Amino acid sequence: MKNLFLVSALFMFVFAFAACGRNEDAPPQQSSENLILSPDNPVEISMLIVTNQVEPAPNNRMAALMAERLGVTINYEIVTPEMQAERLSVLIAGGGVGLPDILATTEIEPRLTEAGAKLRLDDFLDSGRWPNIYEHIAPYRRRLSWTGGDASPGFYTIPNYNRFYGDPPILGGTHFGSGFFIQKRVLEWHDFPDLTDMTLERYFQLIEEFLIANPYTPEGLPHIGFTFPAFPGREWGMTNPPMFLAGHPNNGGVLVHDGIATIYADTEYSRRYFQFLNEMFNRNSEFPGHVVLVDPEAATQSQDMYFANIASGRVLGMHDQRWGFSTPHDSLIAAGQFDRTFVATMPTFDGRAPWYADRDVLNIHQGFAISSTVSQERAELLLTFIDTILSEEWQILLSWGEEGIDYHVGADGIFYRTPQQRLDYDNTTWQQNNRLMAFFDTMPKRQGTLSCGNAFAPGDQPLEFMESLSDYHRWFLEQYNKYTWRDFVNDPPPNPVYYPAWQISVGAGTPANIASSELEAAALIHLPQIIMAGPHDFDALWAAYVEHIGRIDVAAFENAMTAGIQERIALWGQ
Amino acid sequence: MQRTLLLMSIPFLLYRLLFSYVPLIGWAIAFQDFRPRIGVTPLQSLRTNEFIGLDNFRVLLDTDTVLGARFVQSIINTFGQALLTQIVGFICAIVLSLMLNEVRQNGIKKVIQNILYLPHFLSWVIVASLASVALALPASGGIINEFLLWTRIISEPIHFLANPSYFWGIVAGTHLWRNLGWNTIIYLAAMTAVDPSLYEAASIDGASRYRKMWHITLSSIKPTIVILMIMNVGWLLTSGFEIQWFLGHGVNIPRSENIDIFIFRYGIQMGNFGLATASGILRTGISITLLSIVNFIAGRLGSEKLF
Repeated sequence: MKNLFLVSALFMFVFAFAACGRNEDAPPQQSSENLILSPDNPVEISMLIVTNQVEPAPNNRMAALMAERLGVTINYEIVTPEMQAERLSVLIAGGGVGLPDILATTEIEPRLTEAGAKLRLDDFLDSGRWPNIYEHIAPYRRRLSWTGGDASPGFYTIPNYNRFYGDPPILGGTHFGSGFFIQKRVLEWHDFPDLTDMTLERYFQLIEEFLIANPYTPEGLPHIGFTFPAFPGREWGMTNPPMFLAGHPNNGGVLVHDGIATIYADTEYSRRYFQFLNEMFNRNSEFPGHVVLVDPEAATQSQDMYFANIASGRVLGMHDQRWGFSTPHDSLIAAGQFDRTFVATMPTFDGRAPWYADRDVLNIHQGFAISSTVSQERAELLLTFIDTILSEEWQILLSWGEEGIDYHVGADGIFYRTPQQRLDYDNTTWQQNNRLMAFFDTMPKRQGTLSCGNAFAPGDQPLEFMESLSDYHRWFLEQYNKYTWRDFVNDPPPNPVYYPAWQISVGAGTPANIASSELEAAALIHLPQIIMAGPHDFDALWAAYVEHIGRIDVAAFENAMTAGIQERIALWGQ
Repeated sequence: MQRTLLLMSIPFLLYRLLFSYVPLIGWAIAFQDFRPRIGVTPLQSLRTNEFIGLDNFRVLLDTDTVLGARFVQSIINTFGQALLTQIVGFICAIVLSLMLNEVRQNGIKKVIQNILYLPHFLSWVIVASLASVALALPASGGIINEFLLWTRIISEPIHFLANPSYFWGIVAGTHLWRNLGWNTIIYLAAMTAVDPSLYEAASIDGASRYRKMWHITLSSIKPTIVILMIMNVGWLLTSGFEIQWFLGHGVNIPRSENIDIFIFRYGIQMGNFGLATASGILRTGISITLLSIVNFIAGRLGSEKLF
């Protein structure tokens, strides 16, 4: 109680002080001024953050800096993405007991917004008192605004990723999206074959020929030719390929033609892919011991097993998105096994143009939101905090670190790092003591180009990207006459207005939602059996899968997706 | 005196009422279009939600739909997993207790017992991850496959987790591994209560060791066995959660998903609380019915009854 009094007293003081220094030209009707965040006025901000990152160490340097300069201490509740659905459900069902100040969630179903857990920010932002946030969202306001039922339409969530600054923005050299990845060692063994106009047959041929010649890793482990993730939350590792093979961009479970969404799970594209995978699986018996062309445990492996296999260098290829195996990729780099890392290839059917890489998509309904249960004053304080975080000063601190300690500035104003600084930056133990990884993951970011001309993130800085490449990687890129890993994938055309359809929410608990989860379950039940079927069982098992899909209310799902697409085209197309 | 005793039982009665009966108010969710909102306490929303009658039950029991078929399958799975677990666990625990009871050197007996108890103190999460490795293919460290291959019982490794037909067995097996030693405690305790003069009399009559185990030890603990059996029937629609959750990958859902997992998926994960509550009510109803039937049969057979 005493604390509260003290805080409010300080608040009043700062308020009065700030009012004195007010600009004469300010509009007279604006009666309130922002609280200044300072160490004289310490505040604790509670946050629920959905991330794979861990809480910072107690004596974290950046947390100390935040307390020292802004007086802000963050109390974390960290929820991992696979636990998110449960945690949010419990939060909502409890009527909002235990809602933190800031909700930093990444759920695609905007259940928190629908349940009224988030504060509508339009009136706050229109007051012009938080210019950084305003500038951040203004060009995309329509896109970011909520238009569903239950909650009143408006702006609720400040996005976490892919709001780019600069024209054109500096983009990093790594393709983090989808692909049929292949180990660099395999390509090196084949003397760097041409990867354009890739087909499924050639992709597997590259792997199979290498596998026949090298069944075991240098350490004696049996190779796994091809695998994919299918554990909870990553089922698309198994189900997405037909869409890419058909030359479509990533719309999740549907193909979109002229604004109409249809599922592809039971189409010819799907049958062709899984039949081919089944043929490849049946070649497993031609290899000695435990060496396999298609991983029989792909569909049942846990994330830990998947990561462990990749990190051991046993896996020669997989269908995944690059961010999905960052952890084992980083351990391969840390172990100096650069030739065991991967590049993306883009097989398609019938010579179609590949559309694996898309233009980075602005996240909606994911990122920072203010809880609806906070008071007006508290909401203003939180907005001031977020606005401060969005200033370039804090963006650089949170992304690059402190000048002179984490990076240096060249005479030309370009940021650069020493080899040691680069190593530290990627070291998870160091990160825990020196960076706010969990906070950074979900906070709004000025990605692209900063006003000083530098890239937002060290990894995106062109010179830094080149410098941080190992000799092997530089040599590897030279063999292909390419400069970055992005050069291995297609040059993405502008995204369609509605894109991506996977972002469309069909509403929690609706028939469309139930149909979508039943489609996913059907795929998980049938596809592994189909892939691992004996040579003569494929047709019967495929028919059973199609029959199962036939009993699902697919129309409810397709109609909801089409409605979502049409709504986006109507609202955003102007 | 009676009054004092009754008064003393009041706190426990209140405790039961508060934590076991009052929460049943939440069952109303099953008959409502339940949409939780922030700032509205669950009790308030119970009063304001729209009643939809038995719709949720109808959806669950309509086996023509994928959802209904899945729910009914989840009941079958729960029942199958629990029955197998209990039969295997029951027989093994009694046999093991009989064997332990015959060990005459107390020191060795203690050591064996302690070794057998230990797995019980491992959390299910650890048991599940141990099992997932043990059941994997040999290349991923699957020791069970390696053992079976080594002893030439099989010639091709078995893909336990990718074949749904193994799942009930996996549930029973992991439960047995974890709880076998622990479950012997109650039988061993019952066996120590057997009057030694019975054994002496039997020896004089020339009964062999096995005769004594059958006619004296087993007969004497029969009441314990029957009561435990009846009590276990109450658990027939509870087959655990963790093993099914951690090992239940998509491909084995047809045999792994039990009622608890079903409720968790549809209620907590997908936010359809009405459907989940309805499934919970159905489960409770079936459990009580089963328990009453077994209790009635036990009474008819002249054995002990639970109520």
